[in-house]
This record gives sequence, structure tokens and C-alpha cells, in this order.
Amino acid sequence: MVLPLLIGVVFVTFMLVRVGGLDPVGLLAGPTATAEEFTMIRKDLGLDQPLWKQFLIYGGQVIQGDLGESWLSNRPVLEDITTRSFISLELLFWGIGLGAAIGIPVGLRAAFKPNGRFDQVTRIISLLGFSIPTYWLGLVMLFVFFYLLGWAPPGMGRISLMVSPPQFVTGSYLIDGLIEANWEAANSALTHLILPVLCLAIVSAAPIIKQTRAIALEVIASDTVRYARACGLKIKTLRAIVFRNSATPIITFVGTEITGLVGTMSLIEYVFAWGGLGQYGLNAIVRGDFTAVQGYVLTLALFSVLIFLIVDIVVAIIEPRSQLN
Amino acid sequence: MNLLKITDLQTHFVFHDIDNYRREARALNKVNLNLNRGEIVGIVGETGAGKSLTAQSICGLLRPPAKVVGGSVLFLGKELLSLAEEDLNDIRGAEIGMVVQNPKSSLDPLTRIGDQLVRIHQTHTASAISVARSKAIAMMHAVGIPDPEKRFSAWPHELSGGMAQRVLIAMALMNEPKLLIADEPTTGLDVTVQAQILELLKDLVRRFEMGTIIITHDLGIVAHYCDKVAVMFAGEIVEYGTVTDIFRRPGHPYTKQLLASTPEKLKLNEAGSLGGQPPDLFNLPEGCLSQDRCSLASDQCRTPPPVITLETGQTVRCHFALQ
Repeated sequence: MVLPLLIGVVFVTFMLVRVGGLDPVGLLAGPTATAEEFTMIRKDLGLDQPLWKQFLIYGGQVIQGDLGESWLSNRPVLEDITTRSFISLELLFWGIGLGAAIGIPVGLRAAFKPNGRFDQVTRIISLLGFSIPTYWLGLVMLFVFFYLLGWAPPGMGRISLMVSPPQFVTGSYLIDGLIEANWEAANSALTHLILPVLCLAIVSAAPIIKQTRAIALEVIASDTVRYARACGLKIKTLRAIVFRNSATPIITFVGTEITGLVGTMSLIEYVFAWGGLGQYGLNAIVRGDFTAVQGYVLTLALFSVLIFLIVDIVVAIIEPRSQLN
Repeated sequence: MNLLKITDLQTHFVFHDIDNYRREARALNKVNLNLNRGEIVGIVGETGAGKSLTAQSICGLLRPPAKVVGGSVLFLGKELLSLAEEDLNDIRGAEIGMVVQNPKSSLDPLTRIGDQLVRIHQTHTASAISVARSKAIAMMHAVGIPDPEKRFSAWPHELSGGMAQRVLIAMALMNEPKLLIADEPTTGLDVTVQAQILELLKDLVRRFEMGTIIITHDLGIVAHYCDKVAVMFAGEIVEYGTVTDIFRRPGHPYTKQLLASTPEKLKLNEAGSLGGQPPDLFNLPEGCLSQDRCSLASDQCRTPPPVITLETGQTVRCHFALQ
């Protein structure tokens, strides 16, 4: 299942980038280059070959784990992507974690008393979360909390320039700093994390609230809960039944939400100069860095596959009806 | 004292339109029913007559927009309609057992059936888990589930429809209720399984001396398994009496039509099969609710019909009951 999907992704990104009208030769050669220099660079990059041949060469290299070299950084794309993935994952992990930690309980509570005051209030808030543009939210947060109030550090990276980052263990500066008891680094990483994580959490919590509420309402209206009431089960037990029966669709939704958030991620990373994969991909697209764009899209596809695999495994564990049991 | 005494029970569906205009569907109109210990009452009627709604109103299981707007339900002398949810919870599943229509979708899919039986027992009694467990296994045995020790840890989705219905009956009987309400307990089951389940139910009802309400639209079930029958039409009980009396001499024109509508009778081409539609619940006619479908209807039927008790003891809600 996964293999043909990935081949398709490689093919489509390759083609889209080629027909996109980007010309890295012009960008590399600069405005003063002569015609000979143009041909030379073109030949050097292999762009004088027919398209199908270029694709075969690229495909062959991808299979061997070689994503090519970035024309901008002159470093292997795979290396760039690996280091930057950890940087992005830190933000994604805390952001979606906080988003789910807020969204799921709030959605459940709203469903337990539909159209109550709590439900009305959260409905308005989640509507706001839906409609606020991410980059705008990030900029406003920086404006308020850094520029006006001075509570937050400037949106420039993951850790203060004055602080030396901790040794690589998990890739998260916060966790790594805590592991080696480097409180200064951990503290700096935490303060830098707060705004972008909050930004991502707000954007992700809104749909999670809405979806959790809808899922729980459906479970509450089900035969199972009606029968549980007929059995005289206590309200606590009923809520536990609602929660457990909502778990599978909620987890599935959060999974799709994660894969959908990577686009949003690149905007947030851009605003906060986070330096992660999203910012890298966005840069590569703007600058016409073919190989980097291809590597970026391929990584995102692999990431989605991985997330869905994790979702499937989790569901198989908690769900007695799955075939695993 | 009656086990259950329902007086003038009224349940409406209350809708508020966008301009806050209030509309009401009068789904139950003055339902009256008395039930004694050890008695099996069948409630029959066509779809939408309010059979299930009656059961749900008794147990406080209505969800908006349905709402009880009047009447009283006395269970062992206690008014159920004014009880708070927590107090109702002490009665539901303990003193009133319920068997519902869709056993497979009603059981909690994420809890093993043995644990569900234990859960309902421990919710209502202070018994230890080992006691509840052996009680659950004994009850599974009583309802004819083979190999109960092994089935104890089965998941609901692993059961057949008939087995799941047996589990539901076991659930209902776990706390030895005084009243059992079976809402279409055999709809969706094979005919052979249907007979087994009903035989089992009847046997258990006699053994535990429960008052029982069986809701069905199958007249055959009523004839075979019930002592009394209540015929419902448009949210009213139009006739109530013993099965023998009503099947031998139905007093209400609607009951006559209903009895004539069984497939066997229709094949014999007897007159009086059921035509027409039940009345619009938003806009019920003045007087007798079945006047539009009744061949005897006259001007007199524009006034509310009296409830007449015949010499057999059956009660009939009709102007012409004595004719």
C-alpha cells in the first residue's frame, strides 16, 4: 500500500516542480552571467537531459536514500531535512499536544450539556480559532507579548543566542536541556516555545473541540448510552462510556489534524524564524530549489503515512472489534 | 396496591420554530394502564402509536424534544415522574428491568459482557465482585447461554443476535426487578429464536413473579404469551382487557380492524382491513382520534368518547362500545 503511494508522490512532486516554471539556472547564475555560463550550469545540474531521464536518475537516487543536493545550501537535502525535522517536531509535538489537551476535554464537556452556557461560549471561541489566519495570530502575539509587554523573547529561533544549546538526545531543546540539567538552556527553550506552541494549539484546538463535541453527541444519542441509562448506571459511568466510545473517532481525527497542520506549521515557523522543516520547505519553494522541494514533499508524505500507521496501531490496541485482538 | 399504575400520562414533542413559535406533537394522550405482580401485559399498535414512548416515559428515558406534560406513573405507590435523575437511576436497572429492541447495538461494545452484568449488579447493590461474578454466571446460565464461564469474557460483537438478546434479558434480571419492560424484544430475530426467547421470558417472569410489559406489533406474540392486552392508537389506549376477551370479542372498532389485519385473515378476504393513516399528531381531531378511519363514525364522534367497561371487564374508549 505504502510503496505505490510513495512512488506516486515522488512522480507528482517531480513533475509539478518541473512544470512549475521555476528556473534555478537563472537564480544560480545571477544577472551578469553569459550564455556559456548558463549552458555550463545547466549541464552541470543535469537539466539538459530529457525529462524522463531526469526522473529516472532522481528516482534511482531516492531509492538509495539520496535526495540530491540543495542548490542553495550546497548540502545533501537528506541531511538538511533530518536536522530540521527534529526542530519542527518539537514545535508540532507540544502544539498539537496542547491543542488536544485543551480541545478534547472542552469538546466533551460541551457535548455533555449541549446548548448550555459552556457550549455557547466555547462555540464562539472555537469559531474564532477557526477563522483567525495563523500568520496574523503569530504576528499579533509577537507584537503584544514581545514588543508591547516584553514578556516573550523576540520571534527569532528556538533558544536565545546567548545560551549554548544542549547536547542532542531527543532533538527537543527543552527536553534535552532538562535531561542534562542545563536549566538555563531549558528555560530559554521554554520561553521561546510558548508563543509558537500557543499559536499552533489555538489553531488546532478549534477543530478538535468541534469534532470532539460532534462525535460525543453522536455517542450520547446512540443505543448504547440510552440502554446504559435504562440500566440505571451512574452519571460518572455514563460519561466514561461516552468517552471510551468516542476515543477511536477522536484519535483518528487528531491524526488527520496532525497531517493537515504541517502546512500551517510552515507559516508559524516563518513568523517565529523557527528554522524547522516548514520554513525550509517554504524557502525552497520561493527560491526554486528543486531538490529541496521534492525532498520536503516526500518527507511530508512519509510523515503522513507514519502518523496514520500510529493511529491504526493505537486504535487496534484500544478497540476490541479490530482484527488484531 | 398495583405494581404499576399509569394515569392520564401525556407526552408531547415540543418544538420551537425559528421565530420561537411553539408547536407540539401530542404523541401520548391520556394513557391509562394498571399492572399487577406476575401479570404479563402486551401493548400493541401500529408504528407511531406511542408504544415505545410509553415505556420511555415510564422510565424517564425521554430525550428532548419529547417531554412528559401531564399525568402520573405510580410504581409501588411512588410517583416516578417527579423523581430526580439520581433517584430514578436507583430504580432503573434495579427494580425496573428493561429489554430493548437492538441488543447488539445497545450493549457497550468496549466492555466484556460478563463485566457489563457485574457492572449493573454492583451499581445497584453493595455486593463484592466475586458475588456479582457468580451471580452473573448463574444468570447467564438461567437465560440459556451455553458455557457461561467462557462467554463471560466474550465481547458483544462476538455474539449472535439471539445470544445478545439473552444477555440483555440476563442484564434485566440481574437485580431481580419487580417490573420488566420488554420493548419489541424479538424484532429482528429469527422466528425460531424468537419463540425460544419468548418462552424463556415467560418462564422467567413466572418464576420471579415480575409484572411485565411486552411491547410488540405482533398479535401472535400477544395471544401466546400475554395475560392482558392494551391496544394503542394515536397515543391512546383504546382498549384494555384480558387476551381471551379481547381476541374473542373486541369492543373497539379499531381493535376489530387490527385483529382482522393479520395475514391469515387477510388471505380469507374478511372485510374490515386497516385503511388510512393515523391522525396528524400536530393537529389531532376533536373528539375520537380514530374517527377518520372508523366505519362507524358519526357526529357523536366529534365529542370525546367515554371509557366504557364491558361486562367482561375490558375497558373500551368508544361511543359505540356497547353496541
